[in-house]
Amino acid sequence: MNNKQQKTPFRLKLEGITKAFPGVLANDQVSFAIKAGEIHALLGENGAGKSTLVKMIYGIMLPDSGSIFWNGEKIHIKNPKEARSLGIGMVFQHFSLFEAMSVLENIALGMDNKLSKKQLEAKVYEVMDTYGLSLEPSRIVSTLGVGERQRIEIVRALLLNPKLLIMDEPTSVLTPQEVEQLFATLRQLAKNGCSILYISHKLHEIKALCDGATILRGGKIVGECDPKKETSKSMAEMMIGASLQAINKSTIKDFGEIALEVKNLSLAGVGDFGVSLKNISFNVRHGEIFGIAGVAGNGQNELQSALGGEVVLKDQAAIKLNEFLIGNMSANDRRKKGLCAVPEERHGHAAVPDFNLKDNAILTARDRQNMTKLGMISAKHAKDFTKQVIDEFNVMTTGSAAIAGSLSGGNLQKFIMGREIMQVPDVLVVSQPTWGVDAGAAAAIHQALIDLAAGGAAIIIISQDLDELLELCDAIAVINEGNLSEPKNIGQVSIEEIGLLMGGVHGQNSEQLTPNSEVIAS
Amino acid sequence: MNIDLTIAIIITMVGASTPLLLAALGELVVEKSGVLNLGIEGMMLTGAVVGFAVTYTTGNPWLGIFAAAIAGASVSMIFAFLTLTLSANQVATGLALTIFGAGFSALFGQPFTGKPIALFKSIFPDSLTEHPILRVFFDYSPLVYFSLFMVFAVYWFLQKTRAGLILRAVGENDHSAHSIGYSVIGVRYGAVAFGGAMAGIGGSCFPLILTPQWVEGLTGGRGWIALALVVFAAWRPGRLLAGAYLFGLIATMELYAKAAGGSFRIIPSELWASLPYLATIIVLVLISIRHKTSSSAPACLGKPFIPN
Amino acid sequence: MQLKLEKKLQPSKIMLFATPILAVLLTMVLGAIIFSLLGYDGLGAVREIFLTPILNSLKWQDLAVKAAPLIIIGIGLSIGFRANVWNIGAEGQYIVGGLAATGVALLTHEMSGWWLLPLMAIAGMAGGMAWVFIPALLRTKLKVSEILTTLMLTYVAVQLLNFLIFGPWKSPTSYGQPQTVLFNDFQILPYIIKGTIVQAGAPIAVLIALIAWVLMSKSVFGFQVKTVGSAPNAARYGGFSENKTIWITLLIGGSLAGLAGMLEVAGPFNRMVPQFPTGYGFTAIIVAFLGRLHPIGVLVAGIVLAITFVGGEVAQTTIGLPNAAVGLFQAMMLFLLLAGDVLVRYNIKRVRRAS
Repeated sequence: MNNKQQKTPFRLKLEGITKAFPGVLANDQVSFAIKAGEIHALLGENGAGKSTLVKMIYGIMLPDSGSIFWNGEKIHIKNPKEARSLGIGMVFQHFSLFEAMSVLENIALGMDNKLSKKQLEAKVYEVMDTYGLSLEPSRIVSTLGVGERQRIEIVRALLLNPKLLIMDEPTSVLTPQEVEQLFATLRQLAKNGCSILYISHKLHEIKALCDGATILRGGKIVGECDPKKETSKSMAEMMIGASLQAINKSTIKDFGEIALEVKNLSLAGVGDFGVSLKNISFNVRHGEIFGIAGVAGNGQNELQSALGGEVVLKDQAAIKLNEFLIGNMSANDRRKKGLCAVPEERHGHAAVPDFNLKDNAILTARDRQNMTKLGMISAKHAKDFTKQVIDEFNVMTTGSAAIAGSLSGGNLQKFIMGREIMQVPDVLVVSQPTWGVDAGAAAAIHQALIDLAAGGAAIIIISQDLDELLELCDAIAVINEGNLSEPKNIGQVSIEEIGLLMGGVHGQNSEQLTPNSEVIAS
Repeated sequence: MNIDLTIAIIITMVGASTPLLLAALGELVVEKSGVLNLGIEGMMLTGAVVGFAVTYTTGNPWLGIFAAAIAGASVSMIFAFLTLTLSANQVATGLALTIFGAGFSALFGQPFTGKPIALFKSIFPDSLTEHPILRVFFDYSPLVYFSLFMVFAVYWFLQKTRAGLILRAVGENDHSAHSIGYSVIGVRYGAVAFGGAMAGIGGSCFPLILTPQWVEGLTGGRGWIALALVVFAAWRPGRLLAGAYLFGLIATMELYAKAAGGSFRIIPSELWASLPYLATIIVLVLISIRHKTSSSAPACLGKPFIPN
Repeated sequence: MQLKLEKKLQPSKIMLFATPILAVLLTMVLGAIIFSLLGYDGLGAVREIFLTPILNSLKWQDLAVKAAPLIIIGIGLSIGFRANVWNIGAEGQYIVGGLAATGVALLTHEMSGWWLLPLMAIAGMAGGMAWVFIPALLRTKLKVSEILTTLMLTYVAVQLLNFLIFGPWKSPTSYGQPQTVLFNDFQILPYIIKGTIVQAGAPIAVLIALIAWVLMSKSVFGFQVKTVGSAPNAARYGGFSENKTIWITLLIGGSLAGLAGMLEVAGPFNRMVPQFPTGYGFTAIIVAFLGRLHPIGVLVAGIVLAITFVGGEVAQTTIGLPNAAVGLFQAMMLFLLLAGDVLVRYNIKRVRRAS
């Protein structure tokens, strides 16, 4: 079988694909190929150009130049419909689902051939039987969990009998247990001859699943390998390049008094998708970095809002900052008392994209940096502070008058982090500090957080990136469905234990395992 | 209550409701696709004046209605081009469309002011339309039956057809619809055009079935009520029918209050005239109390779509 | 081929200023063509509507009279629009402001003193605020769209006006005319410039524009309004309450519309009449947009719109252009401005679909 494949053309082959956006070359002369039945990884950091590349394969975007070959034939994929008719299916990272509609309606929207509701339902059951997937077709999507939602996407793709299935970061929202289930499905698909293009930045997954890997960095291909033969470390080096700085973390820890005490914090969820926070309690000392891990959508945003003061609590005593009870204070009053925060979303939350950097500095720093007097703003003070942030944090920009939305993700994040850190808070609460940020900026942000803690601040990092938390934090807890697990010191916790907590499994299996050396070593 | 009076009130109510119903059905489809067009009043006025002019000139109300639909759809395309192609602010553009429609209709209608046309009456035989009881079913303009048919047609389209499913999907999550491969802008153009045509026909009801002449600004803010009705109906055609007839009933009561005097006169006619507007506010309040946790509004309503 | 919008990294400053001017100029060109096609004297219409009011100094006082209420209401609306608060029922607030001032004037009709006008002004502002109170309450407590409620209340305000002047407030000496008595001398605005019809409204409008300018560009409140409008989540994060912003901006909009109502009823009208709802409240929406929601821009835009009103009257008498034509010009101006906005934010590219 295998030597015969030498003669058959590749299922998909890309040659010299290039795509530019204003200010960025997203893909630069990208070429690679996938055989039939192969599970091929497209590996790269956030922002390496993976998503752009697959969007062109699926016909959402058109390449500026380069060619695509399908079973040896040169083709132009003008739109997703054409891609589907060729046999290309895609499961999106951010699911393209319609919340208010039923599972079956969602699936019908992804189908190009006209089937009656009954015929479609029969086919859905058939596919689910074949691959051991379960879904209730009449359920409304908004009532489903993330794992089930992804299954809709997979079923939708499988109904087309795909010859190539593109999976874009499929595990970023799944628990380790759900990941195993997904892998089993993918392996079965590959055995039946379907090629799979698997996009991820998670090395251990790629080692476990893929037959070949193409590594992207900064829009260019920097390597090809067989992941089964590589070590995670060697792939990581290719993916990240030489830009990664070693983190400078003093080993001797001498924490001060308790800076932030959260006691029985409860908050009802808002709207259809809100998560209720249930009796959350933890302490963070001066100089300590406290990590909160968890799968997306388990109450992280709610906790960030409750701590930062975007949601004001009724219970004044739920949050204590140094000697002040601040639970019922507004965000601004908390900031004045020394608690700064950085929410996850940069555009439109941590920063106003249409405002310039000076105005974005005014947004949170106006009181701590004395920019206001009698209700009026001193533009000069604001400009000076903005310049300091830009210089200190190496923000690549034209100056304080640059519009925030024009900065790259990494630079804007550096500015936002700099803005808060330079206000020298006693407590800093940050969500996903390096989400979608290039490696260099991520390293700079990590170092700044460590330096801030070394200066005596208490820091809370809420992140889905476990590697980041294990690298930075002194203690860690896991949030799941609005409950926070018992905090543990980093040295005393294993990756398996955290994985189980993220999946909502408590106690019984979490005996002390040795830390997974591959992930924890830094 | 006297049966003749009851029947008379029903017939007046249905007539008064029909322009509202038609325009609101159009807006319902527009909003389901994720677009908020505040220009209904302008499109209705445009439809009204064109419908009148064509009917007056040709003597054929069917041609008038057809022209009103074309006229409504045409002016809606100004809105569509600005908001969909150029992604302009939908609220401001909708308002501009209303001002435009008011100005255009006043200008275009000036030569026709005070000229009479014949009412577009029922096409059933007199034995039915003048029957004391049966006239409650038959003494209506074809436009009334058309509006009822459209309630069903819109329901069927949205819930039972694939095109309706796609339209709802576009209004629910435009970026997802785009990534699956549907033309968000294309679908919305279609919806806006349909909304314009329906508003145009709704507007033509005023000179064709209510007052057989052209008067400047004769829609009297009904376009705004139609807008409120869509919210009132929680984007469901069946409830829209009920809502439109309720508003028609209130408007009818106002007419009777003015004409009858006597017992109706305890409440000043100005209060009757205010009732539809006050009722709209009350309904908006009731809806928001009921839907406090989950709104049934299309998720992308009023937001411009810019593919990335 | 299709058009493709590519977001500019920085919005174009030049275009920000140029597009309103371009919109006005293009309206003149298109207007001339369209009205010629409609069988009117197109060039004459544009000349009379846009140029005569500027070139003929006798018309300047008319401009000041018309521009004042447009500017005052437009300033209030523009502050709200900045915060994404869509009060489009300023006409109703203008009417109720006028009615409240009238009520005070009727109550104090036998009195005299300098304090009567300030009292009427306060009543007017209070009336305007009362008319946005319900929309503000419903928007902040129940998330009911203020677009619909403010507008619905406008129609109610018209009915209230009719009820009062056909009923309890009808002057016994007006021979059955539905209108109130003439205000007394202390209830009528003084003329600012001798020998003209320019009353206190015009300088008040300029003053309000200047205050609003400082407030919006230099104060924390102005920053708050802009932040809430541009990114509500960021505003909450920055410590600004969205509900408070909605309340304050709606009350400002209502009180300024009410003040304009008072200035009109105590100014050009001198009494309450059925013709009081002149549509200033609606036209002010165009003024706010044409002025780019900037107080000084609104000041200029108010004058431009006043020019079209005065010019419309000129064109009616000189070349027989129907008054409705003015609305068409105004709508065209707004359409073109909104279209031009794209030039500020985007680069327009022609793309050919790959085949």
